Amino acid sequence: MEKKKEELLTLAIESSCDETSAAVLRGGREILANIISTQIPIHQKFGGVVPEIASRKHIVNIMPVIDECLRTAGVELKDIDQVAVTYGPGLVGALLVGVSAAKSLAFSLGKPLIGVNHLEGHIFANFLAAPDLEPPFMALVVSGGHTALVDVQGYNRFRMMGQTRDDAAGEAFDKIARVMGLPYPGGPRIDALAKEGDPMAIDFPQALTEKGNYEFSFSGLKSAVLNYINSEKMKGHELNKADIAASFQRSVIEVLVGKAFQAVKEAGRDTLVLAGGVAANSGLEARLREEAEKRGVRFLYPSKILCTDNAAMIGCRGYYQALDGGYSDLYLNAVPGLSLTDK
Amino acid sequence: MSILAIDTATQVSSVAVLKEGRLLAELTMQGKLTHSETLLPHIEQVLEMAAVAKEELTGIAVSNGPGSFTGLRIGLAAAKAMSYVLGIPLVGVSTLQALAYQLPAPGIRIMCLLDAQKGNAYVESYRWENNSLQVVDSVQVAKITDIVAACANMNEQIILLGDAVQKKVAGKLELPANVSVAPPHIVMPRAACVAMLGQAKLMAGETDNVMDLEPVYIRRSEAEVLWEKRHLEEARATKPTEEM
Repeated sequence: MEKKKEELLTLAIESSCDETSAAVLRGGREILANIISTQIPIHQKFGGVVPEIASRKHIVNIMPVIDECLRTAGVELKDIDQVAVTYGPGLVGALLVGVSAAKSLAFSLGKPLIGVNHLEGHIFANFLAAPDLEPPFMALVVSGGHTALVDVQGYNRFRMMGQTRDDAAGEAFDKIARVMGLPYPGGPRIDALAKEGDPMAIDFPQALTEKGNYEFSFSGLKSAVLNYINSEKMKGHELNKADIAASFQRSVIEVLVGKAFQAVKEAGRDTLVLAGGVAANSGLEARLREEAEKRGVRFLYPSKILCTDNAAMIGCRGYYQALDGGYSDLYLNAVPGLSLTDK
Repeated sequence: MSILAIDTATQVSSVAVLKEGRLLAELTMQGKLTHSETLLPHIEQVLEMAAVAKEELTGIAVSNGPGSFTGLRIGLAAAKAMSYVLGIPLVGVSTLQALAYQLPAPGIRIMCLLDAQKGNAYVESYRWENNSLQVVDSVQVAKITDIVAACANMNEQIILLGDAVQKKVAGKLELPANVSVAPPHIVMPRAACVAMLGQAKLMAGETDNVMDLEPVYIRRSEAEVLWEKRHLEEARATKPTEEM
C-alpha cells in the first residue's frame, strides 16, 4: 500500500561547503533528525575554507553522519522513501562527495533521488521554522556567496526579483573581517563588534538604491571600507574596529532592508522571510523585524541551526520538489555555480 | 562470492562484477562525461549485464589511491554508501597494485606511474615472483622525467603503466633501450583487477571500515603544505640563535 505523502520519509544529505550533514524528515516539515558535523575549527587556521581539506573531511564524515542521523531518527534504511541531496551551488569537490553517496544510497535502496538547489533549501528552512507558513511570500536570501530577493509564489514557483551583480553580502563580510584581522568565520565577529560601535561613525556607500532596482552590489562598499582602513593605517590612526564594523554593517543592512520591503510591497506580499547563512546576523534580523512591525508585515527567519548549512532544509525542499515530480536520475552531477532562477 | 569493483582513480571509469572467481562483466571507458555523472549508471548497467542483482553482491572492492583526489572520493563515496545499505563488506585496493596486476609477466620490472600533477607521478615498482605480485620499490612521488631517466641505470627490462605514462610519456619522452610503454589496452586501470585483488583480500578476511575508510592520497593538500612551510619559517625567524 502506498504511503500517504505526509508519512513519506526523506533522507537528505548536504556537503556543499564546510559542514557534512544528514537529516531524516517525515512529510515535508517534521524533522526526525538533523545531524551536522562542522569543520569550522579545521579551517580556522587557514583563515577560510580550504576546498581540498573540506572534501577530505566530507569523505571521512559522510557515513558516520548518515548512520548517526538514522539512529537518532529511529528509522531503518528500508523505511526511507526517497533521498534528497544538495547538488549546487558550492565547492565542487565537497558537493561531489554528497552527490556520489546520495546517488549510491538511492540506487542501493531502489528509491528515487532528488537533486536540490542549496539556495532553495535555505528558503525552505523557513517552512521548518514556521509550521504554518505557506506561499506566497517574499524571501531575502543572504548567504556567503549569494544575495537575492525571491518572490515565492508556490512551493515550486519562484520569481527572481533580483540578485547580486558582483560580491555577495557574505563575501564582503568575510573580506573585511580578514583585513581587520578577525578570525574566520568573519560574519559573526563583525556582527558582535558592530554592537559595540557607532553605526553612524563613518558614511560608507550604498549601491543601486534607486526604486524598483532589486539587484545588489557590494563590491563598491567593500572597496570603500578597505580604502578607509588603509588610509587610517597610513595616517597612523588606530583603527576603531567597532565603529568600522557597525558602519559597514549598517550600509549592508540598509540596502537589504530597503530593497526587501520595496519588493514585499511591489509583489503585494504580507510575509517576508530571511534565508541563508547571513540570516544569523543579529543586526540584520533586528532591523528587518523593526521595519516589518512598522509596516505590518509578518517577518520570519529560521533558528540558528536552520540558518547554517544543514540537511533538514534540503530534505524539506526535496520533499516539495518531489511532490511536483522534481526527481533526478542517476546521472545527476554537482553544479558548483548553480544559481536561483525563475520556476 | 559476488564482488562489485570500482576504479575512478584516473580519467578511466571502470566497474566490474566478479562472481565465483569469474569475470561476468566489465565496463571501462575514458569518455567526456565525468565520473560523477556516469559511475552510478555504469554500476547499474554492469550489474544488469552480469545478471547479478545488487542484493546478491557479497562484497565491494574499490580502487583507493593514489590518484585523482576527486576521482577517488567519487568512487569511495559510492562504494561506502552501497556497502552500508547492502550490509556487505568493503575493501580498498591499491590503485598502483591493481594496475600492475594487469600484466602477469614474470622477469620484468613493472613500473606504475599515476599522475601527481605538475610533471610528477606517484611511482611504485612490482615484479612477479612465484605467481605472486611483489612490490620492489614502494610508492614515492617523483618527477616523471627523472623516473624515466633513472630507468637507464637499471639492469633489467622495464615496462611502464599508468595514466602518467599515457599522458606524459607515450610518444613524448625518449625512452632508454630497456624501457617500453604498455599498450593502450593495459596502460590504464581496470576494475577487473581491483575485483581480483579485492576478492583475495575478502577471502583472507581483510575488510575495511565503511565508516572511516579514506583514500590513500600520499600527498597532503597544498594549503597544508604552504601553511606548514610559512609557520616553520616564522618559527625559525623567532627562535633564539643559540638553540640552532
